[in-house]
Amino acid sequence: MDIEPSDLIVGLLMAALGLIGLILASGAMDNEMYVFGLSLFGFACVFEFGLLRRHFDKLDASPHG
Amino acid sequence: MFRHDFIERNAFLLLVLTLVVISIGGIVEVVPLFTIETTVEHVKGVRPYTPLEQRGRDIYVREGCYVCHSQQVRALRDEVERYGHFSLAAESMYDHPFQWGSKRIGPDLARVGGKYSSDWHYAHLINPQSVVPESLMPQYGFLAETPLETDDIAERLRTLRMVGVPYTDDEIANAASDLAAQASPNADNTTLLKRYPKAVTVPGNGHEVTELDALVAYLQVLGTMVDFADPANERLQQ
Amino acid sequence: MADVSLAMPLQSAPNYNEAVVKKFLIASVFWAVVAFLVGVYLATELAWPQFNLGLSFINFGRLRPVHTSAAIFAFGGSALLGTSFHVVQRTCRARLFGGEALANFVFWGYQFFIVMAALSYVMGYSQSQEYAEPEWHLDLWLTIVWVAYAVMFIGTLMKREEPHIYVANWFYLAFILTIAVLHIGNNLAIPISAFSSKSYSVASGVQNAMIQWWYGHNAVGFFLTAGFLGMMYYFIPKAANRPIYSYRLSVVHFWSLVFMYIWAGPHHLHWTALPDWTQTLGMAFSIMLWMPSWGGMINGLMTLSGAWDKLRTDPGLRFSVTAVGFYGMSTFEGPVMSIRDVNALSHYTDWTIGHVHSGALGWVAFISFGAIYYLVPVLWKRSGLYSLRLVSWHYWIATLGIVFYITSMWVAGIMQGLMWRAYDQFGFLQYSFAESVVAVHPYYVIRLLGGLMFLSGALLMVYNLIQTVWSRTTEKTFVAPAVLAAAGE
Repeated sequence: MDIEPSDLIVGLLMAALGLIGLILASGAMDNEMYVFGLSLFGFACVFEFGLLRRHFDKLDASPHG
Repeated sequence: MFRHDFIERNAFLLLVLTLVVISIGGIVEVVPLFTIETTVEHVKGVRPYTPLEQRGRDIYVREGCYVCHSQQVRALRDEVERYGHFSLAAESMYDHPFQWGSKRIGPDLARVGGKYSSDWHYAHLINPQSVVPESLMPQYGFLAETPLETDDIAERLRTLRMVGVPYTDDEIANAASDLAAQASPNADNTTLLKRYPKAVTVPGNGHEVTELDALVAYLQVLGTMVDFADPANERLQQ
Repeated sequence: MADVSLAMPLQSAPNYNEAVVKKFLIASVFWAVVAFLVGVYLATELAWPQFNLGLSFINFGRLRPVHTSAAIFAFGGSALLGTSFHVVQRTCRARLFGGEALANFVFWGYQFFIVMAALSYVMGYSQSQEYAEPEWHLDLWLTIVWVAYAVMFIGTLMKREEPHIYVANWFYLAFILTIAVLHIGNNLAIPISAFSSKSYSVASGVQNAMIQWWYGHNAVGFFLTAGFLGMMYYFIPKAANRPIYSYRLSVVHFWSLVFMYIWAGPHHLHWTALPDWTQTLGMAFSIMLWMPSWGGMINGLMTLSGAWDKLRTDPGLRFSVTAVGFYGMSTFEGPVMSIRDVNALSHYTDWTIGHVHSGALGWVAFISFGAIYYLVPVLWKRSGLYSLRLVSWHYWIATLGIVFYITSMWVAGIMQGLMWRAYDQFGFLQYSFAESVVAVHPYYVIRLLGGLMFLSGALLMVYNLIQTVWSRTTEKTFVAPAVLAAAGE
């Protein structure tokens, strides 16, 4: 599978950020940190899904797909 | 002969030159404020906020009170007459962040401490129009309904110490008890006053400390720390 | 030396990333409406405080940063990021650096920042530093997104096929770099815990004040000025089909502007406990700043030389050119207000609000509207805008709205300033503070009217742009009767 370098780097970065979000939410001392942490995690999940979707859509659309 | 075209064909050069050029003004205007000693006057009376006052200040900051209220009396005749002595840099030296403000939809609060009774402040914050009919201020009754979170008071003071506010170990260790003492009129506040002169005890509601108590405690100390009548404070030069 | 070659066919135009530009344009228009709506509500609260409804999350103190952040970062920022991506690609003849993933990260990451910031304010979390209200965790997030943005923009410059960097890019670059420096410098803070959103600023008191206004004034100078000048330098020549008036003026204007603006911060602190020497430096540079600002205005306006007739036929261009006019007005008013003795009257009054809005509505919003009206048909490959008449209506309603806004604030502001310093015949202060509040009420109502008009104009724009994208009449292959052939309907 041929992965675009951009997709890989951004994908790894977003995964790390999503994990940080989850950790922050887990230990949150106030509502804001809780909401932020969970939202960051949710955002990362949706973004990763988008990366995967675009990758496979492109694969399907190409002659090899 | 120098041609600007050379810079326009070199992205890196353009980047570096721009960074250099935009850095100059900031360095010249900011750095000396830390190195020139007279920037912050040596004046008696300025002390760190008590735990309750600091919590009140944190509420003042998070509610955006500075959006309508300034805390800086300018060195202008009419202003000094209306609000009191012009503000000294020393008076906000422990303000993290500063709240000098840039708009007066309501009056300046730099020296509001002691001008009104705590009861007036409670009434005004809960329903401003009841004491000032023309006021545009929103109602802050929800602060009276919200118990004050005090679990993190030691962390707050410790963090403030990290950024330069000289809280002692003793003050941090007694943060919770000092806070409680300042919020109940019947408590013994001798140790509180020894650590924090001129701290004003607020009436409270009798059973729990609310966010409103903290805010009033903060408002009541504003502008009161420096004794301008004291001759030793007379020569305040920058 | 202009770089506008509309007629020159490109042998093989690169595959430009237009998707991210389109996303930012849509976001910009969306946030414009949000920003104006919140602004109108704030104006209503100031005219009739009952509208605070006793609720914590919509009271003036919590809602105000929602408006300023929405106007500056959400609306203005999306317009800047979007147009900068369009301009840098076209003028460098290179596709955006960093790939689709990075572009999507910058777009969605930026929108995430906007939404989280607004949510935090209404929930009661703020550092209460003007235009830097978001708490430390959101500041960190923005830093990550901004670094990604800088990588994309600078990377595109570096891989350019066109050897010469067009002037618009100098301004966009200066905007990107300076905002990074300012954002980091002003937001240095220590959280009470990694798991708490509460933090305390590293600086305090007078030093904090200076750093805040080094930042705050240059949020205006680089975010709202340099960045939008980049927009002007591309979209006015493009729409007018004329080269920029003067290359030499571009060079002088650019360097003097980016050098001088940084020093202007102290004019926000006149007569305060900031040392006299700093105030004087700030005042001197603020006054000198008039010159490079007007250099930019002249360069933009004179580009219309030989094409003034287009103002009659192209209402989108009318927005851009009027924007430059308001820019000139605001950059004259600013230096005047920076004079210590003028500032003694104006500071803390509504005159400051009037000044801000003549710049924000007259310059920033109008130049953005001009760019958006130009770009939407281009990017969505439509024959033109759905209705030029609607653009004209937008223009006149919005301009009238601005006039109501700024004149009411001038009157209110100067009235406040004079009332606060008035003495009666016995030598006592004549007016209580509360009396000054009552006195300005009618002007707050007029200001609300002005804001409502500005919002209405924007809603016309939304309708027009939606129809431009969707209507059959703007399809490129659509053949209609002679009506469409007439320029300007």
